[in-house]
Amino acid sequence: MRRGFVTVDAGRRSRQRSDEHHPGCRQDDSGSMSQPGGRLKTRLSRLSRRLSSVLLAGTLVLSGTVAQASPRIELEFPTWQAEEPGAAQFWKEAKTAFEQTHPDVWINLYQVPFKDFTDKMTLRFASDNPPQIVQLPTRNVQQFAAQNWLAALDDFLARSDIPATYTRLGDDMQWNGKTIGVPLMEYGMVLFYNERLLKQAGVTYPTTEAQLLKAISATTDPARGTFGWGATTMQHPNIYTDWASWATAEGASLYKKGDYNFTDPKVVQAIDHLRIALRHAPSGVSTESARQLFLDGKIAMFRDGPWIAPLLKKVRPENRPFMKMGMMPFTIVPGGISNSIHIPVQIDAQRRVLVWQFIQMLSTPEWQARFALETGSPPPRRNALTPAQIESHPDLAISLVSLEHARNLFPDVPAARANFNQISQLVAEAGMRLINSDTPTASILADLQSDLQKRVPLR
Amino acid sequence: MNRPAQLSGSITSAATPAQTALRRRGKLSRRDTRVAAALLLPALLCVVGLIGYPMYLVVSMSFREGLGINFMNPSSSRFGLKNYCAVLSDPATWHSTMITLIYTAGSILPAFMIGLGLAVLLNQHFPGRRVMRGLAMLPWAVPSVLTSIAFLWLLDASYGVVNYLLRLSGLVTHDIAWFSASQTALLAVTLPTIWKSFPFFTLTFLAAMQGIPAELYEAAKIDRANRWERFRYITWPGVRGPAVLALVLNSLWAFREFDIIFVTTGGGPARATETLGIRAYLDAFSYFKVGEAAVLGMLMLALALIFVLLARRPLKKEFF
Repeated sequence: MRRGFVTVDAGRRSRQRSDEHHPGCRQDDSGSMSQPGGRLKTRLSRLSRRLSSVLLAGTLVLSGTVAQASPRIELEFPTWQAEEPGAAQFWKEAKTAFEQTHPDVWINLYQVPFKDFTDKMTLRFASDNPPQIVQLPTRNVQQFAAQNWLAALDDFLARSDIPATYTRLGDDMQWNGKTIGVPLMEYGMVLFYNERLLKQAGVTYPTTEAQLLKAISATTDPARGTFGWGATTMQHPNIYTDWASWATAEGASLYKKGDYNFTDPKVVQAIDHLRIALRHAPSGVSTESARQLFLDGKIAMFRDGPWIAPLLKKVRPENRPFMKMGMMPFTIVPGGISNSIHIPVQIDAQRRVLVWQFIQMLSTPEWQARFALETGSPPPRRNALTPAQIESHPDLAISLVSLEHARNLFPDVPAARANFNQISQLVAEAGMRLINSDTPTASILADLQSDLQKRVPLR
Repeated sequence: MNRPAQLSGSITSAATPAQTALRRRGKLSRRDTRVAAALLLPALLCVVGLIGYPMYLVVSMSFREGLGINFMNPSSSRFGLKNYCAVLSDPATWHSTMITLIYTAGSILPAFMIGLGLAVLLNQHFPGRRVMRGLAMLPWAVPSVLTSIAFLWLLDASYGVVNYLLRLSGLVTHDIAWFSASQTALLAVTLPTIWKSFPFFTLTFLAAMQGIPAELYEAAKIDRANRWERFRYITWPGVRGPAVLALVLNSLWAFREFDIIFVTTGGGPARATETLGIRAYLDAFSYFKVGEAAVLGMLMLALALIFVLLARRPLKKEFF
């Protein structure tokens, strides 16, 4: 600011000096009709001097500002968790801790809604302007990797204990033989249920699929505005997660030998069972709305990741004792890596090292334990929690057991991963037919299989 | 003998100032042209930079083949006609074109009728007319996203007020999933568009109606013309010109509408509301098929151009 004032003064002085040296100019200005060309010339000359002064002043002010701002390196970190209960606290603490150990770094942590997140990241990468710290839903990682947007981390990983201590650093983080990210959150699906609604319907917490379907039917009463099952019933790629979860839980797979497997009788049967559940779910709701309806006591049961557990604390006190979390009533638990952290290819070496240091800080046992305790989700690092910590957090204990039994529900076919968005969109379209029509499930799945093979061939 | 020479000399000497003046005028006119060009230059640069360059990019991208999204270096992909072949031979494109046309006509025609009816009402003298005029304009000022959210709640299948009222009146016995059932989704996305579009028509008609002399109506009354005849022979000819213009503008806006459909249905269920704009967006940002998305953009441009060419005649008749 001080520099700015000095410069403006200097500009004024310069103008005064100019007037003193050319007193005739002012005379001419005041109305003399003689020498019009000369007058224009003088005017132009003064205008040019004024412009120069303004430009000089502006440059000095800007250079002062830049000089003052330059010591701090910004690491931009957009996330959908910056305002999420549990995760928000964790990220704020991580940011503060890292900035304390790196006084020259400022982590610009900010919220981007989940539904817009992938689109915004796509646009940022496509415009060659990605954020420095990149968090991605793991289902989209391969699509970003296919564009060569994510840096290989193998050199960094080789000098760390992450490969030896993390539970999964498998296929999901690999692209063309390189590791392109580090998992942030792994999960096995869990069942959230409203014990009061189950009790009112005369059923108990289900432990088998048959019991689950029976409980769903028993707790549904549209006249009272209560539904037995909560799921995504409007067109959204999350329908893919519903399908893959149910199929995986029944031991079926949507892919076989590198191709689609939607016509497999086991898949048809699993989706048929899901259809029964969906008939008892509120229509036209998004995943977020289904969660909210559960928290409002309108839905008896729904399947989700353990990250929903912190939301239960926000439920009205009279409902809170009845909101519970349990294991999925299947022998196989569907799961996977929820999201991961990456370094973009486009950033410079200095920032790349700083982001890696941030990732490394998050991977330490202390921060992994903190992550688990604050978000209620199991950390990817093995044995990060002490038995006492697990015992004092019953929901976390369930999440850990669930993760232990989890089987990845996302495709293991590279071509399917690279085209996941389009595949999930086509599955969502078929999902809407499943909900809204009476067409037999086998027929819907056969149409889907042929549509997928035509539009997104895997071979 | 000298005379012709003298004459020619006098002509020459007489023509010289005129020729000089002409030459000077020519010079001046050239100078004026240069000044005019210099003054136009910023505007031309803006047009080239803000319209020409993006258009060039879209055209260029439409010829770039393969999966990939890199706005900074589009030329890294292969050049060819594959995108055009893929998009134009895909039945889904023509399905989306049909949905776009139905959506445009289905939202604009009712909005036109409501706008006209409301303008006729608001043109009458009654207490609170100013307030009512202000209120009628309100939907136009509401952002599309908020409009969409409001309609999502109104038409919510399980807890929406519309289904509640329909059930209460006995018109339906079960909940209608307005936005998620293929049969009703297009109607459901059309309703918020109508709600948002009609105030523009009202405003245009009302402004035109204010310019119709009251004496015409008085004379018509003396001639015992009824309400319909007064509307048919006085009001309508007075508002016809602005009506055509408003219709053209609103149709183009509805044709490229994105926000309301994206927020409410995202193009679903099962492509029931997948307009060309939504499809282009999904192709580019979800499937990374920027080339195909650019072809869809070109198709939209071509359709809009055809519409404008068709509308040229009535516009010319009214305004030029």
